[in-house]
Amino acid sequence: MAAVFNLNHHASYVHWHFFQMAVANVVVIIVMLAVFIAAIVAPFPGRRGTHADREA
Amino acid sequence: MSVTEERSWTARVRRRAVGALPPEKLLPDRQPSYVASWIYVFGVLSLASLVVLIASGCILATKGPGWWHVTGIGHFFNSIHLWSVELFFFFMVIHLWGKYWMAAWRGGRARVWMTGAVTFLVAVPCALTGYVSQQNFDAQWISTQAKDAMNSVGVGAFFNLLNFGQMYSYHVLLLPLAVVGLVVAHILLVRKHGVVPPFDLRERVSQEPAREPETESD
Repeated sequence: MAAVFNLNHHASYVHWHFFQMAVANVVVIIVMLAVFIAAIVAPFPGRRGTHADREA
Repeated sequence: MSVTEERSWTARVRRRAVGALPPEKLLPDRQPSYVASWIYVFGVLSLASLVVLIASGCILATKGPGWWHVTGIGHFFNSIHLWSVELFFFFMVIHLWGKYWMAAWRGGRARVWMTGAVTFLVAVPCALTGYVSQQNFDAQWISTQAKDAMNSVGVGAFFNLLNFGQMYSYHVLLLPLAVVGLVVAHILLVRKHGVVPPFDLRERVSQEPAREPETESD
């Protein structure tokens, strides 16, 4: 990762009133939320039909 | 059943174990159709990360905590250990979110939920004791900050974050043992109770009282 990103400087922070968090942590949380939403809405391979179809 | 078999503790344990988890429940070859969703994948991804984490940790423990500073292969396994723990928490938190919004404690699954939640809580200090075992300035900085944090909440008499031997023992033995034990209990409970089904929306809608048609108030 150090080859991709220049890590030779102080960490950047998001600071808003009482909230303070490293940019890297904010990015990870946003990616986790995106993956969570994608896991709910993305179709699963091999799954055919709707819930009602399967029960019918 | 013979009298000897009745008195034997091994026979009693076997009967209870097989009664609670018969082989077809312990190692099922079919799952309900609702399990075919990406949100059900994050539990096994957490487990896969844990396996890599434990394996790379065993290699690092064999060579000692300073090995990764002086050899390329040591650095490689240290990186595997770091990124597997990053993925472990990444997947575990998404698994936790999914199960929380699914109310995974439904249907007598309270112990399944509790073992999972406690595993997360125990995994946090397990990872943090790894940060103070790095044998570098970063570890020294983290341990002094963590020492102040422990003192501020009144448990500083029990844990000395500046004692490397104590923190290293916690990191490579006590806390991983607790995490693995809890994960095993969690998986066995999932096998016993089955995977939690999603909410049945049609059933919930049919249970709601019929809405009165809106009338003009004036």
